Amino acid sequence: MLPPVNVYGKKVLNVSSDTINIPVFFRTFNIKMTINVSHILPDANIWSDVACPLQTRPSYVKITNYAERKSAGPEPGIFEVAMSISVFFACLLCRLLRGAARLLHRGGTAMPGRFALKLCPGLLRVLARNVQTVAITGTNGKTTSARMVEEAFNEAGLDYFANRSGANLISGITTEFVLNSTLTGKPRKKYAVIECDEAAARRVFGELRPKVAVVTNLFRDQLDRYGEVTHTLENIREGLKKTPDTVLCLNADCSLTSSLSLDLPNRCVFYGIDGTAAKSRTKPEISDATHCIRCKTEYEYEYVTYGHLGGFYCPKCGYARHRADVAVTDIVEHTADRSTAVMDVHGVRKVVTVNLPAVYNIYNAAGALTAAVEMGVPADTAAAALGAFKCGFGRMEKFDLGAGGARMMLIKNPAGCNQVLDFLREISDSFTLAVCLNDRSADGTDISWIWDADFEKLRDMDRRVKKVIVSGDRAADMLVRMKYAGVPEEKLSMETDYEKLLDELARRQEPVFIMPTYTAMLELREHLIKRCGGAEFWE
Amino acid sequence: MELKICHMYPDVLNLYGDRGNMICLRRRLEWRGIGCEIKRLPIGETASLADYDMVFIGGGQDFEQQVLLEDLHRGKDAEIRAAVEDGKTFLTICGGYQMLGNYYETHDGVRCDFIGAVDLYTVGSDTRMIGNYKYRCLPESGGSVVVGFENHSGKTYLGRGVSPLGQVLSGFGNNGEDKTEGARYKNVFGTYSHGPLLPKNPELCDYIIKTALTRKYGSAELAPLSDGAEELAHETMADKL
Repeated sequence: MLPPVNVYGKKVLNVSSDTINIPVFFRTFNIKMTINVSHILPDANIWSDVACPLQTRPSYVKITNYAERKSAGPEPGIFEVAMSISVFFACLLCRLLRGAARLLHRGGTAMPGRFALKLCPGLLRVLARNVQTVAITGTNGKTTSARMVEEAFNEAGLDYFANRSGANLISGITTEFVLNSTLTGKPRKKYAVIECDEAAARRVFGELRPKVAVVTNLFRDQLDRYGEVTHTLENIREGLKKTPDTVLCLNADCSLTSSLSLDLPNRCVFYGIDGTAAKSRTKPEISDATHCIRCKTEYEYEYVTYGHLGGFYCPKCGYARHRADVAVTDIVEHTADRSTAVMDVHGVRKVVTVNLPAVYNIYNAAGALTAAVEMGVPADTAAAALGAFKCGFGRMEKFDLGAGGARMMLIKNPAGCNQVLDFLREISDSFTLAVCLNDRSADGTDISWIWDADFEKLRDMDRRVKKVIVSGDRAADMLVRMKYAGVPEEKLSMETDYEKLLDELARRQEPVFIMPTYTAMLELREHLIKRCGGAEFWE
Repeated sequence: MELKICHMYPDVLNLYGDRGNMICLRRRLEWRGIGCEIKRLPIGETASLADYDMVFIGGGQDFEQQVLLEDLHRGKDAEIRAAVEDGKTFLTICGGYQMLGNYYETHDGVRCDFIGAVDLYTVGSDTRMIGNYKYRCLPESGGSVVVGFENHSGKTYLGRGVSPLGQVLSGFGNNGEDKTEGARYKNVFGTYSHGPLLPKNPELCDYIIKTALTRKYGSAELAPLSDGAEELAHETMADKL
């Protein structure tokens, strides 16, 4: 009995010595291939072994990667024809569904891709083959980093597309590729900037085979969905295993992320913040990675930037922070609107202004810069882009609301939330805070993380906190959290109607900061855009 | 009056907002003018549990479990067993709750010895019991309704002489089979409920405080607090389930 194989993502019915039966569109094609089936590895994925671009060389498909690499040229024809038909109809379906969604004023970002993939499971791989992609994954900072890379591409005049809407599962990514290809699957643009969910990375990376992949960091996040942070790390590792030629840009300061370099053959480039630019020398109180990923001994730290990020080392096995190729050596300015940092970019000193506040955005900037350089953008061009960069979509996004304006700062997990609170602590303004907590599946149904986030920090800024309003599906839980964090009762209130909430915020004299979870951000943005203008989420 | 609380393994057993239980205990004691001292006891450090009135152990990741068990088996396990028999108040959640039991058996039959302070054991399963849930405490544990969030794949079964903390009204509880949730043995309160447990369930929180104070001072009356926000959060979730 021969081992089961997949061809073009389809389960092959049976394999005999020279033919493969593959179901396409309710019919089974007998495809004659002169391959020696004894060389097919168990569970081999022939689709992943077809190393030749379908469109450019349709007459010849090289099959490699068998036990003895006995490549053979199967007869041209029906194999490609079947696939081309499949790609064509999948692309067509995807576009039709997208059009229909837009008629109904829906985003239509993920659903069309989902159906297209059902029709043609290998679709993304075909479409991504001739596109030079930079893929960004990790717990926090994916969207911001992707936007920064985009800005660098813009500055460099590269022709690219991106999954800007936040649809970062395989379905949404596929939709984006379909929209940027012809119906026959030829790419319309040369480059792509793709944000990829860390749980989806396992499947996406092998299909996408990006030229460059950035892993920003790993923190505990939506435990009900992702499970332990080490599981997330494993997902990413499994995904990257399928694409050994991808250059990895890794956060050197995150012991979890940088451990990817230990057992993957890929070329790795590291970025991070050096000890010279870090303030804290003490071990973090709350850490998502206390013990060595290799030998489970407790880490020691030379310095800490935030969470478990910093100059870690294992006293037992010697696993330690890798020297950063792109290193932030000094942070010279830090305001409510931007930071200026000195970076050592592959040995060249550069002063980089990041047009966004907060330390975590310096990390995002360093990661984006590293990736852009690997994609061939000159370092100076990428650095200039960071200074002109304007983020949106709930990440430090500005709205013209009330006398002092409003900024929306998405919160998703304790590490990210603590970073936002640190940002508030460092500015000097008085402010009103609105925290909107939802527990839908995209937010994570388990909201216990709000107790791991250090809202007690608000007590240190008590004089500047003018009002705290809680909102969202789980507003009452947030109310309790704020009460126990020590926010005085007279400053604390609850308003679950977004229109009324915005009315109240618009009346405030001081700047307003809104901290919503993901789905609350989507809803609030809609209301805000109606009032203050701005772009729809898919634009 | 004062309560001394030992928070065991805050460095690794801190997965699901367990900090919130400590914040809650501290605040509710302070609001009543009762002293509260919380000692963090991370892996590698030692302290005599006899010096404390209450011990809290939270839930954690599998990744650090082995390090944790090594530390426990260096003598802390015997001390915990003695403290339990001595009637000290324990609040243990999820992984911490399982750890007080005799053992954990993975679904492929590998057995891992735990503390053995309470006669219960846990068996790993393939399905994750996850979601918001609700249970009613037995009268001996105050009788209040508790809402929380459970997320475990281990199924826990109680031995004779150990009663459940409550009866499941909605959700899975100990094992998704017998409607029991958590365990109560002497002054040990064990539960799968994080969320975290205490802030949203002030009645249970006060009942546990009272148990510890009574053990220490012979009797305890707690002044009522205004629990408007807590009750609202509790009711909002209780109504949904």
